[in-house]
Amino acid sequence: MADVNAPVGARPPAGAGRFGLRDLTVEFGATRAVNKVTLEIQPGEIVGLLGHNGAGKSTIVNVASGALAWTSGQIRIDGAPIPRGSSPRSIAELGVTVIHQEPALAGNLSVLTNLFLGRRRSGALTARRQRAQAALREVGGESIPLDVPVSTLSLGQRQLVDLARGALSGEIRVLMLDEPTAALGVAETASLHALIRSYAKKDAAVVYISHRLVDILDVCQRIVVLESGEVVLDRSAAGLSLAELSQALAPGVVHQELVGTARAEEVVRVDLPGGRIDARAGEVVGLFGMAGGEQLTVLESLFGVGPKLPTWLDGQPHTPKRPGDALRRGIFMVPPDRDRDGLLADFSGKTNVMLPWLRGSKSAWWFDRRTGASIYQNSREVLNVQGPGGEVPVTTFSGGNRQKHLLARWMFPAKPRLLLLGQPTQGVDVGAKVDIVRAVRLLAADGVCVLVASSENDEIASMCDRAYVLRDGRVAPVERGPEMATALLDALLQLSGPSGDRPRPVETN
Amino acid sequence: MRPISMDRLKIMLVQNGVFAAMILMAALFGVLNPRFLSWQNAVTILQQVAELGVVALPVAFVVMTGQADLSVGSIATLGAVLGGLTLVGTGNAAAGVAVTLVFGLVAGALNGFLVAYLRLNSFVVTLGFLSVWGGIAMVLTNGKTLTGLPDDFKAFGTAKLVGIPVQIVVLAVVVAVAGYLLNRTAKGQEILAIGGNARAAELMGIRVQRTQMQVFIAAGVFAALAGLMLATKLAAVSPTVGSGMELKALTVVLLGGVSFAGGYGRIGGVAAGLLFVGVLNNGLVILGVSPFIQTVLVGATLVAAVLMDSSIQRFVSAAWANRGKRLAEAQRLGRERPASQQTQEVNA
Repeated sequence: MADVNAPVGARPPAGAGRFGLRDLTVEFGATRAVNKVTLEIQPGEIVGLLGHNGAGKSTIVNVASGALAWTSGQIRIDGAPIPRGSSPRSIAELGVTVIHQEPALAGNLSVLTNLFLGRRRSGALTARRQRAQAALREVGGESIPLDVPVSTLSLGQRQLVDLARGALSGEIRVLMLDEPTAALGVAETASLHALIRSYAKKDAAVVYISHRLVDILDVCQRIVVLESGEVVLDRSAAGLSLAELSQALAPGVVHQELVGTARAEEVVRVDLPGGRIDARAGEVVGLFGMAGGEQLTVLESLFGVGPKLPTWLDGQPHTPKRPGDALRRGIFMVPPDRDRDGLLADFSGKTNVMLPWLRGSKSAWWFDRRTGASIYQNSREVLNVQGPGGEVPVTTFSGGNRQKHLLARWMFPAKPRLLLLGQPTQGVDVGAKVDIVRAVRLLAADGVCVLVASSENDEIASMCDRAYVLRDGRVAPVERGPEMATALLDALLQLSGPSGDRPRPVETN
Repeated sequence: MRPISMDRLKIMLVQNGVFAAMILMAALFGVLNPRFLSWQNAVTILQQVAELGVVALPVAFVVMTGQADLSVGSIATLGAVLGGLTLVGTGNAAAGVAVTLVFGLVAGALNGFLVAYLRLNSFVVTLGFLSVWGGIAMVLTNGKTLTGLPDDFKAFGTAKLVGIPVQIVVLAVVVAVAGYLLNRTAKGQEILAIGGNARAAELMGIRVQRTQMQVFIAAGVFAALAGLMLATKLAAVSPTVGSGMELKALTVVLLGGVSFAGGYGRIGGVAAGLLFVGVLNNGLVILGVSPFIQTVLVGATLVAAVLMDSSIQRFVSAAWANRGKRLAEAQRLGRERPASQQTQEVNA
């Protein structure tokens, strides 16, 4: 272990990490996004950081780059701790560079201006141009013109500009990439990986976050898996296969036996260009696709908010204009992003569950503390909600319990005919996952038809009777079986191209 | 009685800060001039702020949805002018009132349509109409005060209902309806939901645009009504009768703790804000302070209100987070909570 008190910039003692986290903890209100994470990365090492959404990966990157404050613990570069409350600029000057999926550049300004934005002592214009060209050359972007607006560049080029900004600060000692290839093509991904390797050769410590396991296996030497803010796996990538990796990613998923409860009547049908999706009453059907892919579009279309797809409900054409039309027909949707699209932050837990149901009931013109109290209490019991009473703001609850509130809203006050779930167990802890799966199966046993859209194969495999894999309008059915999670991934790879090309990003509109 | 935790107590204190400030200020004025604390003066204060309250409470709902309405001052003016012209022309009080209210409805609907359906910025739209309606009022009256209103109409301005001036009765009704609407109906919660998270509200099936339109219409109708109330009180219609009202109303709303970003507000707070402004104005008059100073103080109050808005929000959310953290910690440690606190959790 390095000397904690060594001044910043001093050479590290032999064997010390280039980049280290020591008991790092980050809290947002009552939620612990990162819980005592300790990690040591050696110079020249490329570490793949994996985990489901909400596991804490991006939080670590944001904390280490100065965009967020941490609660306790230490972050060290070459053994020297970064003072808490350091500005992003002073951290950048220590040699920490972060590449985001969508680079944070001012699109309307030129490449040259962006390279020097927020930098002190920029120097004369000609000197600046030379330094900018040198930095772009270093990152392999010498073909990028200096005087065009950044918005005219491709995404790959913008990432290079972002990287060149880091190169301008001096030696890149720590390079962090947050989902850098999520929207890149094959060629751009390959050249980015080559660049990452060249920085590793120059003794940078690299943290590589990605959902794309193929990319992780391509470039990383070590794999660290986070689950609910804690490191659950830390091992060498050598000899790791894709299937093993996807298994390792789901340490907490409980593959329980599901009892099929499907009935004969078809509830919903969706026609896509490349196939048909249907689901019967009492059945839980998964829709699996790339992150942000068309599985969500299917849900939104059925709920009346997305693009219109040809859909049928109980054999009748279903053309909802707005959510109200879907709600009247018993179609309820749990959106994937609970805090952005689902919950009302300042509202109490109970009001968050009951609000859509006040209208049209006798409570519409008079409700008080007792309104819906028993429904709320019952749903809390079914979903095993932990936390304070129902009258405190819903933000007081932890992530998993907030998710349970959102689910409770659409599962219990009224019985759905068709329940649409977008990533229902995303970013919740293992215990909450089990509770949620149990509640969903309970509803299915009661004859509700459930569609679960997810970009995580384990989420589908943990609760669905069968699934469809969606990609560029094509549809492939996957039946339930012991290897369902792997079968889903295989099917997605097969849909991706005739030559077994690796997954390309789906265009989301 | 339900036990109250320190966090809850702090939240209550901060949320009712305006009310406490108002009481302190009244006490100060009372010490400086005992005449201030008379029953008669209390009635006078309420009478003075009645029209402002009728304008401000619907504006509070607009702000709760995350929008602003700066046009209400001119809607009050032009509403009064149109009503006054009808009254003088026809001598029919009902026709005058109808014309005023219809104008308020149209003006509010116009704001609502442009903001909700065409997604224009409410600040800009209503600032524009502040100028438009105010200008039309000047054109119609040629800048002169309208007199010759029918006597039965003027009598309304001094009328009393069981000994209470009619303006105060109207104010009380508006406050009560607003409180009921916000706290006891689905519509009130939906209005707050829209201001708090419009996307989430829409995905709950709430008709966001329609509701937005409704609150702007309410603001327009009540502003026009307030203009008419001022006309009866003054027994004449001046083409500047409502000018400045929009800023005073916004001051009251923000003083009352309504979040300028939308999503949070309490009618009790707005009522306290209204009383604060009333006490301030009345007290300064009684102390014989220059009217120019009053303007300065109203402006300073607005800044203080915005400052308080942000710090209150920060404080309240910090207090709640604190509470949640302690509960979560207690659960993590599996510690038994004291019995008294447990009852409170169950009741909470």
